[in-house]
Amino acid sequence: MTRNEAPASTSYTLSSATSREATATVGTALKRLAPLMADEKRTLALVLLAIIVSTGSALLAPVIISRAIDVNIRNRDFLGLLGLSALLLVIYVAGLIATYVQTQRMGTVGRRVLFKLRNALFTKLQELPLDFFNQNKSGDLISRINNDTDKLNQFFAQSLVQLASNISLMAGAALLLLTLNPRVGIAALLPALGVLILTRLTSTWVRQRNLKGLQSLGGLSADVQESLSNFKVIVAFNRLDYFRQKFDEANQKNFAAAVSAGIAGNMFISIFGLAFNLAQLSALSYGAYLIAAGQLTVGMLIGVLMYVNSFYTPLRQLAAVWASFQLALAGLDRISAVLKLESNMPIATGEPARSGPVLEFENVHFSYPGGQEVLKGGTFTLERGKTYALVGPTGGGKTTTASLMARLYDPTGGRVLLDGRDIRSYQPEGRTRKVGFILQDPFLFTGTIRDNILYGNETYQAYANEHIVGLLTARNLDGLLARFAQGLETRVASMGEGISLGQKQLIAFMRAVLRDPEILILDEATANIDTVTEQLLEEILAKLPPSTTKVIIAHRLNTIANADEIFFINAGDITPAGSMQHALDMLLHGKRAS
Amino acid sequence: MASTPTTAGAPQPAVPRRSSLFSLLGPYTPLVAALVALTILGNGLNLMVPRLIGRAIDGYTEQRPILAGLVLELFLIALGIFFFAYLQNVTQTYASERVARDLRTRLVAKLSVQDHAYIQRVTPAVLLTNLTSDVDAVKMFVSQAIASLVSSVFLIIGASVLLLSINWRLGLAVLSILPAIGVSFFLVFARVRKLFVKAQAAVDTLNHVINESILGAALIRLLNSQHLEYLKFLAANTNARDISLSILRLFASLIPAIVFGTNLATLTILTLGGRFVIQGSMSLGDFSAFNNYLFILIFPVIIIGFMSNIMALAGAAFQRISNVLDTPEQPDSGTITARLRGDISVRDVHVTFDAKSVLKGVSFAVQAGTKTAVIGPTAAGKTQLLYLLTGLLKPDSGRVEYDGRSIDDYQKIALHEQIGFVFQDSIIFSLTLRENIAFSKTVKDEDLEKAITTAELKDFVDGLPDKLDTIVSERGSSLSGGQKQRIMLARALALNPRVLLLDDFTSRVDSTTERKILENVQRNYPGITLLSVTQKIGPVEDYDQILLLMEGEVLASGTHRQLLDTSPEYVQIYDSQRSTSLYELHA
Repeated sequence: MTRNEAPASTSYTLSSATSREATATVGTALKRLAPLMADEKRTLALVLLAIIVSTGSALLAPVIISRAIDVNIRNRDFLGLLGLSALLLVIYVAGLIATYVQTQRMGTVGRRVLFKLRNALFTKLQELPLDFFNQNKSGDLISRINNDTDKLNQFFAQSLVQLASNISLMAGAALLLLTLNPRVGIAALLPALGVLILTRLTSTWVRQRNLKGLQSLGGLSADVQESLSNFKVIVAFNRLDYFRQKFDEANQKNFAAAVSAGIAGNMFISIFGLAFNLAQLSALSYGAYLIAAGQLTVGMLIGVLMYVNSFYTPLRQLAAVWASFQLALAGLDRISAVLKLESNMPIATGEPARSGPVLEFENVHFSYPGGQEVLKGGTFTLERGKTYALVGPTGGGKTTTASLMARLYDPTGGRVLLDGRDIRSYQPEGRTRKVGFILQDPFLFTGTIRDNILYGNETYQAYANEHIVGLLTARNLDGLLARFAQGLETRVASMGEGISLGQKQLIAFMRAVLRDPEILILDEATANIDTVTEQLLEEILAKLPPSTTKVIIAHRLNTIANADEIFFINAGDITPAGSMQHALDMLLHGKRAS
Repeated sequence: MASTPTTAGAPQPAVPRRSSLFSLLGPYTPLVAALVALTILGNGLNLMVPRLIGRAIDGYTEQRPILAGLVLELFLIALGIFFFAYLQNVTQTYASERVARDLRTRLVAKLSVQDHAYIQRVTPAVLLTNLTSDVDAVKMFVSQAIASLVSSVFLIIGASVLLLSINWRLGLAVLSILPAIGVSFFLVFARVRKLFVKAQAAVDTLNHVINESILGAALIRLLNSQHLEYLKFLAANTNARDISLSILRLFASLIPAIVFGTNLATLTILTLGGRFVIQGSMSLGDFSAFNNYLFILIFPVIIIGFMSNIMALAGAAFQRISNVLDTPEQPDSGTITARLRGDISVRDVHVTFDAKSVLKGVSFAVQAGTKTAVIGPTAAGKTQLLYLLTGLLKPDSGRVEYDGRSIDDYQKIALHEQIGFVFQDSIIFSLTLRENIAFSKTVKDEDLEKAITTAELKDFVDGLPDKLDTIVSERGSSLSGGQKQRIMLARALALNPRVLLLDDFTSRVDSTTERKILENVQRNYPGITLLSVTQKIGPVEDYDQILLLMEGEVLASGTHRQLLDTSPEYVQIYDSQRSTSLYELHA
């Protein structure tokens, strides 16, 4: 990518969150997990050894028992029986140790892999640009990531060990059944084959039913959430019936889908049981025929029946684990989709340090993926220490222009220059030190006001409260802090609940000003603050160092009245308005986008 | 069935959790009875299998030709087991889903008669959990625990009796191992359960960090604080992993121990049973049956352990659900349905919220058909005042009156039909634009038209591909803040209200549009009583009354002129906005 050529806007849209079909096979899943297991090779080798020993012990026991019956019991040799019993005890103890090692080590590997996977996912989320979060609804994204990691958690924490040992146990039992007596073995394994074919044939059908069940459940909680968070409107407009009706519909639909999914899924539990009984039956009747023909001993038949047990019991457990395994695969699939995404905002290198106006737009074009052009070749320059106002109707492109200044997005054409240098060539630390941005919708983290004001501010992090208050006072921010009852230690609940929008804006304001940015962008940052307080904010802004450049987006005209220059932004065009009066004329008579 | 009490109605805090969980099943007695019967039938047949196999083996040993009848019998039993097991699965799925559905219906029916304050107090998030994961926990109990417990108890008793009847000495020896397995399982599981609670809390923290990092994505990128978020996440993730590892350590020793215990029982059967066979006091077939019954025995012991966990979870979940279901209802005592004139009177109203005084003795009166503005700084209690006037919030003391009668005397529905409230935050439902605006059911077509025209939405609606039938939604839609707010206004106006309450309506609408809209309201809704909470004095200068609300108190009231003469605070606000007014005059 050459430096002047901006990347085409990238699509970050993730496939529908409701699709739970695992497109991945076990093989691709293993391939995806392989890098995370690279340093676990020694442990995995130990686990493999333990699995072999424990499987061997579980499978050797029936051989010994059938031999004890055939040789010792039938020949009334109690001493020999005791000898074999002692051998059996040794084998069981070996099995005990091996099972412990296997469960413990394998479980540890699983949890460590999950730990790494979660870290990788979170790191990726942090690397991705804002585009990604805009293109995916945050609610969907949250539930998707929480659900998928939870499915993986359940699998890694509970099912993985079972899966590994069950498969090896089944394989061993099948092998021994066949070596003990190939014909009886085949007869005993046939029902399993039948079940396997049946499962394959019906899996799509079952999965579709499950999918429907999950979708209707998702719809149900989405409906409830919408209604509960908007309860005041529902009450004020007498629409409690709407809430109940809409819910009843979703509830009934979910009931039907869940019953049908449950019946489809549970069918297999009984079919696996049937297969086990049929296997016993066929081993028994075919065995009877072979015994009559003198080709099988009774002891061997009892052994066969025990192997039938040790083959079908794990098979039935596997059926239960399999569902969790499928869900985990689907979850891994969707997590990999996120992990595969790359940031479309790489840092350009080799740009020499230059000096120039503090900010410059060079024929900047911008469009959101799949959308119309929001900016059509904007060119303008911002001088150091001046105040600029961006005005225009809603939806005209003001916020987009401001976002480009802070490199929340990259332009789809043209360049944004910060201090004469392409903004894409800055390391993030350098850029964020220069550009401060107060967002339209302020976001607060759970914690205290102190946490929120100092958020992302490494330098002041360790300072005592008195010191912080001193720093705030030096920037005339103490008056704002005084509006919070417990000062810096005022609690902020989850997602800032219980704090009014205006107060959130005050906190965001303190957070931005305390960072001493070279450019301070305010995007409707005072819309919900009363005018007296707003005037206080203006005084604070006026007392910022003279070199600070201010960019203000506002509806209220008094907020922009003191601007050195006003840009009118509408329908993708950025025009200098010249005077306040001209800006007003344009606002009044200009074509509105909204 | 009808006589079984359900938990609805009277609160029953003293009743132990488990019994209340079972009392939930009262209305479903026939279903549960069918479930228990099917479970017992299926498992009863299951118990016959080892015996039959034992008989077959004895047949071989004694060189008797195997009976075709025996094979047939086994085959029929296998089919029977399948049949009953399948019916049992269908029944438990159906029963559990029905219980879940009915529980949700009851919860929502309860919620829909509660007032707004209740929802706020309990919080939507908690209620959502009640309706989803708590109901799921109860569902899990019905779908798994009932049948599993019945079958486990039945199998343990049945298999034990059979073992003892075949050979009581060997039976006793084998059964002595069972309690050891059961007790050790139970002890370990009790510790694991505590860890499970911790593990869930750890996962919640993890999700919390993820949620904030997604919702605050823009801020994090602006401040380049990704590393900080990563550190938070790493701490939560490490904690989750460590708890999970300690659960693993317990399980890793538990499962092999159980297997070993079972194996010891096998060993006992081989040695002791072998001796009995050698002595001739037991047949080889019985010996084989013993081994098979052992497998049947062990599984239920483990199942009971797991089910105790499911039941504990379900019991706690049902307790939370019961708390909601047992909330006393607040019947609408109001009877007045008369058309409002529009006189409003607020007398000495106090409101506290989270132990903080929000309104401290607020009194004022508004005459029907006049325009009143409430002006005041952030967090002065303005929004709470509007909530009071709609009955969304109840005062701790003091009175709110309409036309001289207390707001409580009015039938809520009748009152809400006549008061249009435009909320500060835009709330859009995932419905068509028509349904969003004509949200109340009483809206007629001409009222809808008038509301749309008044809110200056006509051009916008005409510009949409499906006009009023376009589906809009809160998120992901291309509605701007101003458009959303005008939709909210149209929704209130579509009621054809007698009283219109505006909460900071103008914060996201530009002043030109705002002026037009207010003129439209005056023209199209003559005689309407208007109460507007706002930050800007300019548009409300000509109002009949302006209230200055600060720190929960009415500092001053009067016309714009009067306030300029009497209230220094008002003058201060006015001065701070003068530049605005200047320009707005030009405009």
